[in-house]
Order: sequence, then structure tokens, then C-alpha cells
Amino acid sequence: MSRFRNILFFVLVFLLQLIITDYLHLGSWVMVSLLPFLILLIPLQRREHIVLLSAFGLGLLLDLLSGGVLGLNAFAAVMTAGPRKFLYRILVNRDRQDKTEIPLLRDIGWVKYFKYLLSLTAIFLAAYILLDCVSVRPVGFILAKFTASTLVSTALGLLMALSFQNRS
Amino acid sequence: MNNRSGLPSTLTAIILFLVLAALSILLVVENGVVQRYRILGAVRNMQAWCWTRTSNIAHYFNYRTENERLSAENRQLHERLSRYEAAARQLDSVSVRIEPDFSYIGANVVKNTVDQQHNHLVLDRGREDGVEPGMGVVAPQGVVGIVGAVSSHYAYVFSILGAGQSVSAKLSRSGAFGPMTWPGIEPDRMLLSEIPVHIQDAPGDTVLTSGYSTIYPPDIPLGLVIETKVSKGSSQELSVQLFEEFRTLHHVYIVKNNHKAEIEALYEQVP
Repeated sequence: MSRFRNILFFVLVFLLQLIITDYLHLGSWVMVSLLPFLILLIPLQRREHIVLLSAFGLGLLLDLLSGGVLGLNAFAAVMTAGPRKFLYRILVNRDRQDKTEIPLLRDIGWVKYFKYLLSLTAIFLAAYILLDCVSVRPVGFILAKFTASTLVSTALGLLMALSFQNRS
Repeated sequence: MNNRSGLPSTLTAIILFLVLAALSILLVVENGVVQRYRILGAVRNMQAWCWTRTSNIAHYFNYRTENERLSAENRQLHERLSRYEAAARQLDSVSVRIEPDFSYIGANVVKNTVDQQHNHLVLDRGREDGVEPGMGVVAPQGVVGIVGAVSSHYAYVFSILGAGQSVSAKLSRSGAFGPMTWPGIEPDRMLLSEIPVHIQDAPGDTVLTSGYSTIYPPDIPLGLVIETKVSKGSSQELSVQLFEEFRTLHHVYIVKNNHKAEIEALYEQVP
């Protein structure tokens, strides 16, 4: 039942991301992405190649359904999924025997959770914005967009994490 | 034992990571709009149905403004028509080409993005309405983009508000022309570049389509020059305030160049 709920929550967050992409227009300076949070939700015990393929599929599906440039979200998702476990170990738990399935706010605490989600979001947005804007937009614009987008996306990710915790 | 089995697994993960990253970059470079339309098929039609409904709701609350805009456009078209009729009466003894250079297909915008680096639109006209990839899309107060892909009833349009897109434009007073591109920040500002430095009366001038392409008709007003800047010492870069409000775009026209095939055949003859 809990697993079914997790899957349902995952699907709902993905649909929310689709709605955000299609209907929430915050201007050229901010992009909101919940994909880093969705990548965080993939259970930690999954094998690396499953995580990478899942992230790639998730990004590609969003690219296909949102009508944007095909491959942008897929690239950023792969870049985020790659170092995910490494980041978890250095930012959250150095114990390699950790059996946590999905990191929850109440289990690892606000500060560690925030650092972990912020890192994933920053990697995702750096990859996305660089691939989208590099060599065609000024550096100042890229940096401002990256900063604003990381802050907004991390805040929304934390809200989702709170909601997920209450359901678990 | 764990270490021995862990090494190939890590190596596989690294290789897979690199392959997926490379594949994604390849997809970005290709930007396969046409492939996407083939892959999605029914899903895209269902999405377009949803976009049409939500777009209708949004425009329901904008009817008064939309009516005023259409009324103004109608008046301008009547004025132009009467000028042409007067000119035609004077030219009745001269051979006049009957077939127009461009024909137009009216369409409604069902999806429109303005805040991404590669913006796009979806229109409610498709292959069955005579729309083909490569056709231009214009609005009453400017150009909108180029059709990238079509399904039976919908068209995907690359917006001019996108990295890599450009429109050939000219200044109305001097006739100096150059490519107009979007710098990627405000949806109502574009940059007209390669204007010679000796053109000093650009500020306040109207920017029009040059007509030096087979995509857009000439002399469509695009915007006003609000700022000039010398670029690389040899030419000017002009900041243009667009007339068209992309955020509220609803009615557009898909443009078909009736002589495109003839012009392209001419190019093919050139060795």
C-alpha cells in the first residue's frame, strides 16, 4: 500500500511539473523544475544503471510532453542522477551500510535534506541552463537565471518533501 | 568479493552515464520536432485538445480587448484595400499580375511560450488545412515564427523568440537592413544588427520585414527603434520595441508564398 502511495505521489508530482511547464510563466529569469526532487525520490537501493535510465526516461518524457527542446531535461536529469548516491554519502550519511529506501525530511533532518536537495537542484539547473543558453546568452543572465531558478525550485521541492512525508 | 563485483557495475554505470549524456546532447542538437510529432501521435492530439480548451477559457476573459484589436485590424485592412483599388483603377490599361504573392490561412494559438530560450507555439490548423513545414506565421502587428512540424489538425511553430531564430528586417526611412534576433530576456525586445554606422536617424524609426526571404511578406511593421549601440566598431546594433504583444497572442495568419517553388527552382539552376 505504501509502495502504491509512493508511486501515486511520484506520478502526481510529474503531472504537477507538466502543468508548471505548460501554464506557469514566471519570465525568462526563472525556471521551476521538480525533476531533481523526483530523482531524489527514486529509492537509494536501486542499481545505478536503473537510476540513470529512469532519470533519462523521466526527462525525455517531460521533453516530449512539454513541447520544448527534446533532450534538455533528459540531459539535466542524467547529470543529476549520476552523482546522486555520492552526494547522499557526503552530505547526508557516510555510512555505506545505510538501508534508507527514500530519504525523508523527518529521518535526516532539515539541514541535511536541504543541502542534499539544493545540490541535486543546482546540478540539474546548471546542466539545463548551460546547455540551453551557453554561447547565445550573456554570462550575467545565465548566472542570475541559475540562482533564481535554484532557489525557487529548491523551495518548491521542500514543500513537496513535506507533503510526501505527511503521506508516508 | 563485493569489491570484485562492484567494479564492473561501476564501470557499466559510468559508460551508461556517458552514453545517455551524449544521446541527450545529440537530441538537443537535432531538436527533432518532426520526430516528436511522429512518436507522440495520439498523445499530441489529446494534449492539443486540452490546450485548445484552456486557451479558450483564457481568451473568454479577453474578448473585449480582442474585439478592439480585431476591429482596428479590420479598419487598417479596409484602408489598404481601398488604396489598392484606387491604384488598380489607374492601372487598368497596364498588365497587372492577378495572382497574389502570398496567401494567408487564419489560425488560433492554442499554446504559446515566451519565457524559455527556445519558445514555440501550437496552432489549431494543420496538414488538412494546407499548412506545411517552412511556412511563415504573422500577426497583425509583427511576425511570429516559422512552422516546424504539422499534424492533421495542428501546427508546431518555432517562435522568433528563440535562440538561433532571425528575421530579415529593414529600417523604414533609410531602407538599411539586417538580421533581427531575440536576445533572450524580454519578450517585447529584439536586436537589429549589421546596420551601417552612418545611419544616424534610426532612433524612433519603424522596423519592417525586408521581404528578402521567401517566408515573410515585405513591409510588415515589427516595432520601433528605441536604442542604438555601435557594435565591434563597424556596425550598429539597434534595440527594437516590438509592436506585437506575444504574451496575449491569439489570432495569427499562416503565410504561404505562392512563388516559393519557382524561387527555389531558380536557386537550383545556379551552379
